[in-house]
Amino acid sequence: MANPARHIFFAAACAVAIAVTLFFPLRVAAQDLAPPQGEVLLTINGAISMHNDAEAARFDRAMLETLETVTIETSTIWTEGVQSFTGVPLVALMQAVGARGDSLRATAINDYAIEIPRSDWVEGGPIVAYLNNGKPMSVREKGPLWVIYPYDTNPKYQGEVIYSRSIWQLDRITVE
Amino acid sequence: MIPIRQDNTKEAGTTGTPWRRTGATVLTLIFCLGLVSGMALLVLRELDDLSQANSDNLQWSLAQADVEFLRFQLELERARDDPTRLDQVRRRFDIFYSRMTTLERGTVFERLRADPTFDHPRTHLRSFLDSTVPLIDGSDVALFDALPQLARDTRHIADDVRTFSLSGLSAFAQISDERRQHLVQTLLMMAVVLAVLLAGLALLTVSFFRLAKLSQTRAREVQRTAGRLRTIIETALDAIVVTDAEGRIREFNPAARRIFGYTREEARHRSAIDLLFPSDLAESLRDGPLRFLDSARAPEAHEKQIEITAVDRFGRRFPAEISIDLAEDDSGRLFVAYIRDISRRKAAEEGLTVARDRALAGERAKAEFLAVMSHEMRTPLNGLLGSMQLMRDHRLDQRQSELLDRMQSSGRLLLGLVNDVLDLAKFEAGKMRPESRPFSLTRLLDGVVETMAPLAAQNHDRLSWRWVGPPQDAAEGDARRLRQVLLNLAGNAVKFTQGGTVEIEAELLRDGHAVEFRVIDSGIGIAEADLERIFSDFETLDSSYARQAGGTGLGLGIARRLTEMMGGEIGAESEPGEGSLFWLRVPLDPSTEPLPARAVRSTPRPELAPLDLLVVEDNEINRFVAREMLEADGHRVTEASDGRAGVEWAEAQHFDAILMDISMPVMDGTQATQRIRAGSGPCARVPIIAVTAHALPEELARFREAGMTDSISKPIDRAELTEALARVASGELPAAPVVTIRPAPTDPLIDTDQLSTLWAGLGAEASAHLMQSFLAELDEAIPALAATPPDRPDLGPLAHKCAGSCATFGAVALRRALGQVELATKQGTPVAPADLAALNDLWARSRLALEAWHRAA
Repeated sequence: MANPARHIFFAAACAVAIAVTLFFPLRVAAQDLAPPQGEVLLTINGAISMHNDAEAARFDRAMLETLETVTIETSTIWTEGVQSFTGVPLVALMQAVGARGDSLRATAINDYAIEIPRSDWVEGGPIVAYLNNGKPMSVREKGPLWVIYPYDTNPKYQGEVIYSRSIWQLDRITVE
Repeated sequence: MIPIRQDNTKEAGTTGTPWRRTGATVLTLIFCLGLVSGMALLVLRELDDLSQANSDNLQWSLAQADVEFLRFQLELERARDDPTRLDQVRRRFDIFYSRMTTLERGTVFERLRADPTFDHPRTHLRSFLDSTVPLIDGSDVALFDALPQLARDTRHIADDVRTFSLSGLSAFAQISDERRQHLVQTLLMMAVVLAVLLAGLALLTVSFFRLAKLSQTRAREVQRTAGRLRTIIETALDAIVVTDAEGRIREFNPAARRIFGYTREEARHRSAIDLLFPSDLAESLRDGPLRFLDSARAPEAHEKQIEITAVDRFGRRFPAEISIDLAEDDSGRLFVAYIRDISRRKAAEEGLTVARDRALAGERAKAEFLAVMSHEMRTPLNGLLGSMQLMRDHRLDQRQSELLDRMQSSGRLLLGLVNDVLDLAKFEAGKMRPESRPFSLTRLLDGVVETMAPLAAQNHDRLSWRWVGPPQDAAEGDARRLRQVLLNLAGNAVKFTQGGTVEIEAELLRDGHAVEFRVIDSGIGIAEADLERIFSDFETLDSSYARQAGGTGLGLGIARRLTEMMGGEIGAESEPGEGSLFWLRVPLDPSTEPLPARAVRSTPRPELAPLDLLVVEDNEINRFVAREMLEADGHRVTEASDGRAGVEWAEAQHFDAILMDISMPVMDGTQATQRIRAGSGPCARVPIIAVTAHALPEELARFREAGMTDSISKPIDRAELTEALARVASGELPAAPVVTIRPAPTDPLIDTDQLSTLWAGLGAEASAHLMQSFLAELDEAIPALAATPPDRPDLGPLAHKCAGSCATFGAVALRRALGQVELATKQGTPVAPADLAALNDLWARSRLALEAWHRAA
């Protein structure tokens, strides 16, 4: 004959164990990003809540591709003709890293740096493009990442300030 | 009329220019505004361009190319010492490559690329990049080996990079210069246009200000005019009534209130026709003189001024004169009427008309009385003179013979006076016409001297006549009037000369187309001051003259009139105490016709075979005288008392000749002659001698036309009568002239002259009114008269009364018929009932003729 109290205790202990076991790994997964597998294209640090390296979130191409994808058809003042750019909306990227700051500082491979205020992190706003006309961009072609605003569809994005924010050969972002 | 319309057109004329000017200004301003808008658009686009700044930071990009090249060069140097830095070389190259690509491809650098100073280093750089790419993309070993060569190449190309970026910078400086310049130009142009716009606005403001002032002035003027007009209307003596197109009163001035007795409030909105005119006349006014009111049209010229009967609020009717016309204003058509109460004027006019008619009637009555009296006086005078002639056939002692002489001379003098008066009356009536027939001047002057000889002998004067210059016997003119004038002048000369000479001179003037007669005496003469006066009527200078002259004072007046009638002149020169010269110039054409044989008075009476004669004469005395004269010569005489009796005798019996008086009751001499000639009786072709006092030439012609063969004058002169009968006996007279047989001309029923005179005298209205009562009167009287038994004693007076009315209205035929009835009753002759009954028909026809005349008038 089984002791009912022992049964209840055991069940409870099992439940707690299961709950703890289940809950803890879930918490870790929500807070941190998976580490990049390929060549790191973009490093984000500063006021962010998601990391996959000490105080930083590093992204390879595959990680970027898993995020929300938007394609913008527009002309730019640096290229000829209408181009198609595909990439992660800046707002989605900032959400993905849990950015808390009011602006971000973007820096290029050639150390060109500019600030993009939080007001630009909106739907229909700029994207961090990783494809130009469906193809990855080399450094010679201002790749691998290029911040592109939808210049043609929104006239407010036709200005010197926006053009200066359209940073190419982007490789670092610091949220401030 | 209130000149509303005229004012409008005048204003339109004067305001045209300012309005046009303002319009032009407005147009210009609109144009400027458009221009400014265009400019603003341009500037906005420029601003837009600036704000879009699709240039990025060009200078930075260019400078960056330099920096990135240097960093590539630096990396090359480092990599030669440290082969692990080859990746860095590659990265720097890629960055520089990317920069160059941007500069080569970017749209903002399009303009730079067209610049050869920029393009030349660019191609160098491009070939460097293209040749370097395989090394960079190649293996590390190859790249490492190529590093010294690359370093050399980059040192070579460094100048090109420098030139490239510098030329880009200067080109961009130029571009931004141009753009600035362009912007400045646009702004400048806009400033100019704005200035123009401002000026235009200023002009417009001035223009509007002037317009405002103008309209203010005009408004004041209109106000003043309106004020004046109001004063005029308020103070007018005539009623001024303004109605709308329907005839409802709009304005009613104080005079209208006074004349019609209504206040303005009472009169307003009432129908003018119903209010101001008698209700019984309203219809006839609407259909008659005011018919234009209904159609609301402008009255025609003859409708603008009318006389009409108006009525005031107390029912007093008065004649009014209306002047009316159509005016138009903003609220539609208006009638403006001036109404004047003309009752006083009418009364005055009527008074004047009555007074004038009375005066005229009096004057006419006097003239008529004069004419009738002198004519009537001649008949008994003729009787007296004829009887005196007959007395000479009887044995008379010395004393009786002297008395008879005196009686005869008195009678002749009296006849002369009567004839003078009759002549004057004829002149007054305008019935005198000059005649023209050939005569002998010598014989005429002989006759004058012969006639005056007894008087001259009495005054112991020597009387003679002579030609001055070449004589001319045959002349054509009015011998009778000329003789009358000369007799008058000679008579005067003889009368005022005692124991002196009276000489008549005759002288041809104007190549024989005029003759001057001068009667020169050595008598008492006339004072200078009196010379003009003596030719006036009834002028007898002074009592002594009048006494000596023993005349009516008409003689010279008549002489003057006769002379003027013949187209001549008469005048006198005189020296008191030494005598007078009366001259007379008359146009007399020389006659080509042979002169009639001279009647020789002194020849012994030819022995005539007794003739059977018919004397037709209404006057008993004349008849008696004629019978006595003729029977004394042994003729057999039958008497007829009027034309009809004469015709009856002539149809019944043969006579050798008929003496026919002209004016007779029942049937006059002319008619009787026509009847006799037209018939086939025994006397149809015997000579008929007219016995007439009126011997006007056209009358003589008329007698001859009627079938008379000869004429003698009345009173009958025994010698003349004997001569005429001698011509009959000798067969000298054409017994029966060939006459065209035609019906007697029907007497006119009415005398239109008389009617016209009446109408002119009384005015159409009064005359028409009188005529109506006349027609009514006779409509009643004539049938009554026709039905009256012929022996009733009041037949005569009744006929007389009607005849009087007929005379007034020119119903001459009826008057004559009535006159005959009256005469017959006076003479006690019974009137045939058929003659009375015939009056009805005559009246009916006269009535129609009268009405026809009235309609036509």
